[in-house]
Amino acid sequence: MQTVRRARAVGDRRTARALHYAMLGPTLGLLLAFLVIPAVYVGWLSFTTSTYGQESKLVGFANYAQLFADRIFWRAFWNTFFVVNGIVYVELLLGLGLAVLLSGPVPAKGLVIAVILAPYAITESSGIVMWRYMFEPDVGMVSQLLGRLGIPELEWSTNPVATLFLASTVAIWHHLPFTFLILYAALTTVPRELLEAARIDGASAWQQFRLITLRLIMPAVLIAVLFRYIFAIRTFAEVWLLTEGGPARLSEVLAIYLYRELFKYHQFGMAAATGVFMLAMSLAIALPYLMRMYREVQRGG
Amino acid sequence: MNSRRDVLKALSGMAAAAAAGPFASGVAHAADRLTIIAHAVHKTAATTGAGGDLTAAWRAKQGADIEWLTFGVEAVNERAFKEASLAEGNADVVFILDRYTGPQFAGMFEDLNEWQKKDPIPQMSEIPAGMTAAHTFGGKLTAVPFRHATHGLHYNTEFFAEKGIAEPPRTVEQAVALAEKLTYKRGDGVQVYGLVMNFDDPATPIDWIRGYGGDFITSDYKIVIDQPAAVRGVTMLCDLYKKGVLPKNSMNLKTEDVTTFMQQGRGAMTNNPFNRYLAYNDAKASKYPGKIAVVALPLGVDGKPMPAKTSVWAMAIPKNGRNKDKAWSLVRYLSLPENTIAETLNGNGPVRPSAYEDAKVKALIPYAAAEKQALASARLVVPGFANNAKAMDIFIEELGNAMLGNKEPQAAMSEVKKRVQPLLPT
Repeated sequence: MQTVRRARAVGDRRTARALHYAMLGPTLGLLLAFLVIPAVYVGWLSFTTSTYGQESKLVGFANYAQLFADRIFWRAFWNTFFVVNGIVYVELLLGLGLAVLLSGPVPAKGLVIAVILAPYAITESSGIVMWRYMFEPDVGMVSQLLGRLGIPELEWSTNPVATLFLASTVAIWHHLPFTFLILYAALTTVPRELLEAARIDGASAWQQFRLITLRLIMPAVLIAVLFRYIFAIRTFAEVWLLTEGGPARLSEVLAIYLYRELFKYHQFGMAAATGVFMLAMSLAIALPYLMRMYREVQRGG
Repeated sequence: MNSRRDVLKALSGMAAAAAAGPFASGVAHAADRLTIIAHAVHKTAATTGAGGDLTAAWRAKQGADIEWLTFGVEAVNERAFKEASLAEGNADVVFILDRYTGPQFAGMFEDLNEWQKKDPIPQMSEIPAGMTAAHTFGGKLTAVPFRHATHGLHYNTEFFAEKGIAEPPRTVEQAVALAEKLTYKRGDGVQVYGLVMNFDDPATPIDWIRGYGGDFITSDYKIVIDQPAAVRGVTMLCDLYKKGVLPKNSMNLKTEDVTTFMQQGRGAMTNNPFNRYLAYNDAKASKYPGKIAVVALPLGVDGKPMPAKTSVWAMAIPKNGRNKDKAWSLVRYLSLPENTIAETLNGNGPVRPSAYEDAKVKALIPYAAAEKQALASARLVVPGFANNAKAMDIFIEELGNAMLGNKEPQAAMSEVKKRVQPLLPT
């Protein structure tokens, strides 16, 4: 009797496991088809020389060696580094500031939130071209206004620092709604009674924010930062539509470097090596945040 | 009222039709529809304008449709190579620009010499050898020339009159002097720049460098951009930039931007393809319709005609194409002498010089004689080789460094030589 019961239990477990895999199958299949296999292929491609109409040839680490020996690649790397950090942290500060402001009593709150979210509804390329025309030398609205006020124009078409500044500003303008929404949603979940208790205990507004609000919304902050880092590393359109990385490739970022190798020079191996480098960079940045998030979740659990 | 079962049956029927539809229609159309990857100018030249729709007669005779897929210059070439590299392609005819092609791509296209032997294009020898050579690699003719884009000097006659200048410059030195004179602020506050050029590739700066007797890469693959004549040309461009004769965002300007500059009256002169005349004088878009004239580039410092930059668009047939007989039939048809004339009337740069002698062309295209004159001494930007795109980018990068003052012209051009030399065919 016991043997029969055990056999049934084993059978049930097997059925459950089969069902479990059957349910997971489609998702795993999709992940495999659209993420894992392409990623492995790109990894393999990075060890080859490959272009249209020619057989791929394995070249070991030659593409990586060429990449790391190229000063334009390193310039693109540092440009990306500064742009990404600028975008992520300025956007975080602005998003957090606006979210805190709007979580309190504000007149016409719905309208203000709609205005903040509006850039997200604009097509990225349209938004960038609009900014470009506003800052166009001589004839742009902003350039003319600055001229009338006696302020020099932003020399974004000749000065790479100004180019990257403008590109970062456009990126922040466009993606601020994303960060703002995450943080605003998190702020609405902070229990009012906790803040009230702290206030009764004599905590200042800053202490309430730092010791209660910020700690409670930290997982959301980490998610916002993580996502924005990953997106910002791929920054392309802002710089491409302003200057294509010019003048003299001085404002080039890694995504543009990759684009040139792939679509202009048709050097698929070099482009793949650049892509793998960008992936490694994303992982290196994401890892500490993921670990911190994991710890937060564990602590919360 | 329909039962649930009826509704489900109808939905599943619709889903099946939707799934099979595109495939079925694709199969049905594959044989009688040619897909062409081209720039919009090619489609216009073949179908729209005073020359009429040339493809109509061909389509009627062949019983075939044509699907034009048009893209920007870079994207046309990119898409053409991508389609041709697939195991089975969807493109039957693709348009390729000389400076984007090279010997590494030759294997993906039909050798059109073979097709020419089977069903020849009449009077093929009239097409200048330089044009066919731009698309010939290892003896294989990979594409038949369809269009040339040769530079002329466009100038705003109203600004010339305002500054008391009677005629366009005759020499390169005069052109430089006039460009300086024509840089001024007009009464309405608009800043006019004496010379406007696009720096997205070497096509426009190379004209001036050649005017000073220099060049970038010769047809036998020698880099001469660091030689004194070329450096003089580069130095002249740097001086014009420093003096504000060239707009300060010059290095950021593309062809379309130059068109806007000319249409808005912010540029007095530009060296760009002759047929831009139509856009610069377009009454719907230009503030100066009918006032922007075009002539051949001025004489170089050696007193000879300044070699104008030319580019050659040509029609190729991918080896993986599904309908090569019809593709060749269309290539041949569009290359017929009478059709070249009709295409010229539609605004195309004709690859047959005889088209310029046609009475209708002479009457309708005001720049026909000047373009013919320019074509006689025109040169490609760079000869075809595997790394030409990278070489051109390096040149533009270092020219930018010289213009920004980051490097002396000589140092910048020596750097070009150093970096481009390893990219050249051995």
